[in-house]
Formats: sequence, C-alpha cells, structure tokens
Amino acid sequence: MSEPKRLHPIAAVVNMLRQLKELIVPLIVFVVFGSSGDGGNQFYLIAVAGGLFLVFISGIIFWYRFTYRVEDGELRIEHGLFVRKKRYIPFERIQSLDVSEGLLQRPFGLVKVKVETAGGAGAGEAEAVLTAIRKNEANEIHDLLVKLKKSTHAVEEGEQIDSKETVIYKISSSELLLLASTSGGVGVVISAVFAFFLQFEEFIPFDRVFNEVEHFISSGLVFISIIIFLGFLLAWAISVVGTMLKYANFTLKRVDDDLIITRGLLEKRQFTIPIKRIQAVRISENLLRQPIGMASVFVESAGGSALNEESSKVLILPIIKKQKVARLLEPYLDDYQLNSELHSVPSRAYIRYLLKGWFIAIPIVLVVVFLFRPWGYFSIALLVASALWSWLEYRDAGWSLYDGLLTLRFRTIVKSTVFMKREKVQSLTIKQSHFQTQKRLATIDAVVKSGHGGSGGKVYDLDWEDTKKIYNWFSRKED
Amino acid sequence: MIPEPQTRISERALVVWRISGGISSLIICLVAGGLITLGVIFDWLFWIIGVILFIALTYSYVMIFLLPKLRWKRWRYEVREQEIELQRGVFIIKRTLIPMIRVQHVDTQQGPLLRKYQLSTVMISTAATVHEIPALDMHEAEELRRSISSLARVADEDV
Repeated sequence: MSEPKRLHPIAAVVNMLRQLKELIVPLIVFVVFGSSGDGGNQFYLIAVAGGLFLVFISGIIFWYRFTYRVEDGELRIEHGLFVRKKRYIPFERIQSLDVSEGLLQRPFGLVKVKVETAGGAGAGEAEAVLTAIRKNEANEIHDLLVKLKKSTHAVEEGEQIDSKETVIYKISSSELLLLASTSGGVGVVISAVFAFFLQFEEFIPFDRVFNEVEHFISSGLVFISIIIFLGFLLAWAISVVGTMLKYANFTLKRVDDDLIITRGLLEKRQFTIPIKRIQAVRISENLLRQPIGMASVFVESAGGSALNEESSKVLILPIIKKQKVARLLEPYLDDYQLNSELHSVPSRAYIRYLLKGWFIAIPIVLVVVFLFRPWGYFSIALLVASALWSWLEYRDAGWSLYDGLLTLRFRTIVKSTVFMKREKVQSLTIKQSHFQTQKRLATIDAVVKSGHGGSGGKVYDLDWEDTKKIYNWFSRKED
Repeated sequence: MIPEPQTRISERALVVWRISGGISSLIICLVAGGLITLGVIFDWLFWIIGVILFIALTYSYVMIFLLPKLRWKRWRYEVREQEIELQRGVFIIKRTLIPMIRVQHVDTQQGPLLRKYQLSTVMISTAATVHEIPALDMHEAEELRRSISSLARVADEDV
C-alpha cells in the first residue's frame, strides 16, 4: 500500500457539492438582487454560470492532485495545485479515526476517513480527510493502526495476541426513542426555523401578509395558538427523526485497546479511539434526563477541534440509567473508578452560590420593576427562581480523589461529572478571593486537553482543606 | 496554608507596570480634560465635572501606584524538577501547578518597554493552556526557558 493513490472520483463530486452548499446563499442573493434590475440579466446569468464552472473545475483538480499512501508507518498525503502540500502523519500519533459512510459514498461501497491527531494545524478540519476510499482500504488503515500498536505489545510479551472484541453497549429501540425525544435538538430546529425566516425578512413582504391576515387573526386567537403549537410539534418531530437516524444502531465495542463506536442509519459512522488516548470521562445529565435518572457519557479526546466537536467530545453512551454507568464501563475503561462517593461543598458556601445568581438577577428585576410599574413586580419571582437554581448548583457541586483519579461534579446548565486521571491533567489552578479566604473556601479548576483547546472541570467554593488536599495530590513536589 | 512559591519576579517590573499604567492614565486624563473643557464651555452641572475629575484621578492612582504594587507583591513562581508553580492575582489569588511532563514549549517575549528595562515575559504552553510569567530579568528568563525545556524534554510522555 505504498503507491500514491487517488481518491475515488466520487470525491470530486462530494467536494463540488460541499462548495456549492457554501455558495448557495450568496448565489441566491446575487440572482435575486441581480435579476430585479432590468437589462443586466444576461451578465448575471453568465457570472453565475462561470462561478458554477469554476466550482466544477476546482472539484476535479482537487481530486486529481490529491494522493495518499501508507509508507514507513505513516499516512502520507499530498495535495494542492500551485502550492504542493504534503502532510505525513505517523500512525502512533493518531488520536482517533472516524470512518463514515455518507449517502453519496454508500452506493459505491466507499467510505470517508477522518484522521485526528493532537496537533492544532487548522482550527476547522481534521488533520487528514480521505473523502472517498474503498471500504477495504479503510479497513487496511484501521488494521495498520491496530497492528502497529499490537506489534509493540507483542515484542514486549513475546506472543501473538488474538484481537479480543466485546460489545459493551447496544442501543435498544426504546432507548433510542427516549434519547431522541429528550435531546436538545428541538431547540436547534426551532432556532434554525426562526433564523431562516429572519434571513428572508427582507424578501417576504411581512407587512402586507400581516395586513391581509389581520382580520383572520382577530377571528381567532385559538387558531393562531394551534398553528404555533403545530409548528413546535413539527420542529420537535423533525428533531426526533433526525436524532433517531443519527443514533440508530449505536454500538460501543472494545476491541483490544480501542473503543469503537458505530452508529447511524442513513450515514453510517465508525469512530475509533485508543483507550490510552482518553483524556477524561464525562457523565452529563441534562434537565430533561436528570429527573428520569438518565445520563449520557462522553470521553474527551485530544483530536478534533472547536468546529468539529463530535471528535473532541465523543459520545460513548448516548442514554443510560445513571446507576448502570459504572457497572457497564468500569471493566472496560482501565483505572477509571466511576462510582466513587463524592464529597460535597460545605453548607456555608450556599450563600455565595445564591449571591452569584442574584448578582445577575437583581439588576434585571430592578430594571423591569422600574420600567413596567404595576406588572413588573411579578419579576421578583425571578429572585426565587434564581435562588432555587443556585441551590441546584450548590447541591450538585462535589469532588473526590481516588488513587490517580480526580472527580469533579458541577452544574452549568447541564450537570456534569468529570473523571480525570492525574497524568492527563494539563494544569490545576486554585483561586481564592478575599471573601472566600474569610469563609475558608476556594475554587478549583482542572484542565485536560480536548480537541484544539482545553476542557475539564471547575468547582466553586470547596472547603479550603479539601482544595489543599487536591492541590497536594496533584503537586509533584518532593518532600 | 500551602507554602508560597519562592521566587519573585524582577523589581524592575514595578517600574515597567507604572510606566504603562502612566501611559493609559495619560490617555484617560486627556479624554477627561477634553470633557471638562467642553463642560466649562457649555455650562454643564458642576458635579458632572467633579465626577469626571474624580474618575480620572482615581484611575491614575490605581493604575500607577496601587495596582502595580499589589500585583508585584503577589506574583511568585517556582520551577521545580517536576513541575512549575505560579501564584498571581490582585483581588483573587490564583495558584497554578503545571507538571513538567505536560509542558509542550516555552516562549520568551519582549516588547519595547520591557526591552528598555532588560526584562522579558516567559510563556509556558501545555497542550491545552498557556501560562505567562511577566517581566523577568532577561537573562533569568533565558535561563528559565532553557532549563524548563531541558527538564521537559526528559519526561517523554505522549498526550
């Protein structure tokens, strides 16, 4: 496999489509504005046709100049027309491998391979993307990655190891339904619809539409409510179907020393992350799932980037009973103790959580009360809500140390429990303000690598003695 | 209390911070002066002029005298064989531990003002974070950079 190879020609089509997708909005705007003026129509048509032709040509050139090969334990990629770019990626530096089967690739038995390393060359894309290669070639790359690791093991242990495959988790259809209906995707779809309409505000003559509809509106507020309700229901249904397609057949396996995730119905994806590359494990419970005792589990990976969050925060268990997490994962995640008892934050810290919430709430309430005199007083309820929220934050804050493992639990909007091994923590900071010193409290902030930047955990107002314990645990000072 | 890190940053840092505080105060004072002139011309209320004057003077005092002093007093660091410890912050005291094995690279950086006073800033990068020690003596910074990178090289552990 050391010959330089081209991608399958379908890669050219995929690239063209991607470029077209980026161009579609400017193109539409261009055409709409262009043709509204008289006369210059032909010019605009030619310009658009020229643009499309350029996209077409550049797609083909990209495909023609892009070659890849596997040589000396490296994946070597060369591309570019005027500026030749070469990127050599040693297999032992690969953080994760993402194999997906898109709608365009599938009819030809092709897959798309994304290789992530810890390097941060570009903030956007993965370090290497092979848009369309044959499945068996992708398998070869995968095997090489695995074999390379195994051969170093085999030398150490002097024997051939058969690959051991265990299925850790497979999503059931009821879980899939639950996952889809409680995911935050609803909000995304709704805001996308709003954004869509706002985008076209200039084109749709809202005023006229409203005037015509006005008598209609006055005829029935009920009708409007029903329309809005149906709209939301539709948005929710779209999001549910989308999530179900995305996470159908979700399976988590451990093969030798890698975690392998497969999922998807229309677009099939396979994601490989070596266990020793896991930077941290995160259990998160969102507001809809927490009351029914369900949680999702992520692992932080050093691959990926801010724009490509799916490969830096890898979902390994989409939805699961929280009590089951430890029993299910512990045998497979080396040295992660997911069931430890957490120490909570001392009760004297609550007042600080409360004040932090009110710090934002009080000015809002004051302004509202001042502006809308009689009814504005209802906004005082916001103070109560804020106090309750602060209580949640206070109750959820916690920490524990277990051997080489630091666990921090905290709530932003979602309640997260983060498990970090000592050797994966990049830096640890404690912060103490004057007021915290008086109350003998301190804030702890641990950072692990996640994608391009850092992630981790931050817990406010721990007991000072506890903070010291964590600080000394992390310190490598000899004495 | 956790024992404080041992090393202080250069005393000349104080001078540099005061100068840069002075520059920003100068700008604020110029703006304030302009406003006050306008106020006198257009007969603003007396207390508005007073408030402007007060803000400009307080800002200058804080930026030139108070803040540099507090900042310098707090700033300490220590480079040990296996880790680097930093302490900083004026109102919120922050203490950070960076294990040597996590250090990816070390930079030194020097603006015109720092150069005049033979100082430079050391920046320590891990894979996920960047930490800064401001205003060390130039030779000390160079020495530090060299020793950190040689200490960090010993520990060869992957991300």
